[in-house]
Amino acid sequence: MSAGAAIALPAPAPRERGRGVAPIVALLAPIALINAVGFLAPVLNLARMSFYEVEPTGAMREVYTLATWAKVFSDGYYAGLIFDSITVSLGITLLTLLCSYPIALYLHRSSGTWRTILLVLVISPLLTSAVVRTYGWIAILAENGLVNNALATLGLAKLKLMFNATGVTIGLTEILMPYMILALLAGFGRLDPRVEEAAATLGAPPFTIFRRIILPLTLPGIALGCLLCFVLAVSSFITPKLLGGGRVFLLATEIYDEAIVTLNWPLAATLSILVLIIFGGALMLYSRALRAIL
Amino acid sequence: MSEQGFLSIRGLTKRYAAFTAVEDLDLDVPRGELVAFLGPSGCGKTTSLRMIAGLVPATSGRIVVDGKDLTEVPTHRRDMGLVFQSYALFPHMSIARNVAFGLEMRKVPKDEIARRVKEAIALVHLTGKEEHRPTQLSGGQQQRVALARALVVRPSILLLDEPLSNLDAKLRDEMRNEIREIQQRLGITAIFVTHDQGEALTMCDKVVVMNQGRLEQLGTPVDLYERPRTAFVASFVGRTNRLASVAKDGSVEIAGQRIAAPAGLSGPVEVMIRPHRIAFAPAGEGVPGTIAKAVFAGDILQYDVEVAGQILSVELATRGGETVLSPGTAVGLSWRPQDVFVYGAAA
Repeated sequence: MSAGAAIALPAPAPRERGRGVAPIVALLAPIALINAVGFLAPVLNLARMSFYEVEPTGAMREVYTLATWAKVFSDGYYAGLIFDSITVSLGITLLTLLCSYPIALYLHRSSGTWRTILLVLVISPLLTSAVVRTYGWIAILAENGLVNNALATLGLAKLKLMFNATGVTIGLTEILMPYMILALLAGFGRLDPRVEEAAATLGAPPFTIFRRIILPLTLPGIALGCLLCFVLAVSSFITPKLLGGGRVFLLATEIYDEAIVTLNWPLAATLSILVLIIFGGALMLYSRALRAIL
Repeated sequence: MSEQGFLSIRGLTKRYAAFTAVEDLDLDVPRGELVAFLGPSGCGKTTSLRMIAGLVPATSGRIVVDGKDLTEVPTHRRDMGLVFQSYALFPHMSIARNVAFGLEMRKVPKDEIARRVKEAIALVHLTGKEEHRPTQLSGGQQQRVALARALVVRPSILLLDEPLSNLDAKLRDEMRNEIREIQQRLGITAIFVTHDQGEALTMCDKVVVMNQGRLEQLGTPVDLYERPRTAFVASFVGRTNRLASVAKDGSVEIAGQRIAAPAGLSGPVEVMIRPHRIAFAPAGEGVPGTIAKAVFAGDILQYDVEVAGQILSVELATRGGETVLSPGTAVGLSWRPQDVFVYGAAA
């Protein structure tokens, strides 16, 4: 009996491989359906809307025109908007990476209860909405906020920390740090303390170990974290709106203004599609980077 | 301190908050010798090795190599090669780059690096795999790369931390011979941490048996096997029968026989005899016993013999033509006095 079972054991593997297609389709169907209805259709609708004609009143006519796209590409304002959005987001991503990397490295090396406590601390900001956290930053960065009052008490000049790119960068960096830390941790799998020790025994001083071993081995995590934070930074709306105070013009805030204030839906749609294209570019860069790293 | 070894360790101690991992270790290793640190897990052998490598700071004690005190020297300036149980190869580098790493750290000229890397890879029979990544190699091959990477820099001491434990039995034997052969050919001083007494006995010039952070015995494999100093060494190195008895008036009784007790020993003792040092006596002689179990294992015959209420394991080499005695058969056992070890029983 047992011999028969032992002989039968290896059989299921090839059989399962053979009949694989139907169950996979069945398992993927629900999410495919949800995505088709809830994501793909609206995006296609958005793409179509970007070609509609719009009257000064905001009324849309279902007449196809390239006018909106031509305006976006010819008007320097939008080129500047795109450039600012990308550079501010890249800056935020870099700052988030610099702030998060040591924390993620420390977390990766910690263990037991201490690690659990630290992980909870890292994740806990996500339990508070970005709106609340942004208002928190306003209390800190405002003209009569914590920082400036402290500076004034010390007899130093006040700093302009809000209603400019500085405020948006500070706020978004803090808000995005949990995502960056988690993404870094997810990508630190190949980092093994024994490998670092091996480098030390071979004569590598600490900084060389970081440069030659730790940094290259954590590149997948860095790439993942940067992709995630860049995408979140480009699409973030509430924090730039509140901390930018209408004086920092980024794609997401502009889309909101065009859709809600100016009521130019085709323009909002066009800019939304542009954001999607930027995401696509970021994803492409990410997969290129990964291929180069691994 | 009369004879100082190439590697000289004095009073090496590692204390953690709750326990002492290594206590007061003294050791001298002459140049070119392969010394095993043998003991059960948690005995302090790996901690000792890591202190020698500088990966764990010593609580107290000194580590001196070739007359140079290394106790306070950081790992990267100790010039030791370490081979890990888990290989610890750099996964993002090719085999050649892995092996070249230590030479690059030493700022060796490029053409010399290329030549020495080639030699080291040839030494471990991996020529042709230079551009492979570590994950493309088998466990045994990866351990060879680790060995080449540690040896290529010509370290003062080669440290091996259970290098064979992750390999399967056949590869283990192969690597065992290979490591020993390379170590002897290069004449390198090496320390080999293992929990496997077979590896320690067959590969090494000397063996340090450790238990609970302390050195139990240091000696050649023959010393340890034939003259174990403590009950722990006797039972950990090789297999042995353990019998409880009492020492009184300078002698110990085992199975109705009295033998001389070691000087100054009285009270409860442990008596040990190796199974293959027990022989069957001619009919009517020796210590009487009854066969409880018989196992024919090809090269040896294993008997469990009941003697005065205790079971003794007996092993006889087969020469062909033996009759396997069945359980219940009365037999007489004999042994030479020098094969009986007596130790004071642990309190």
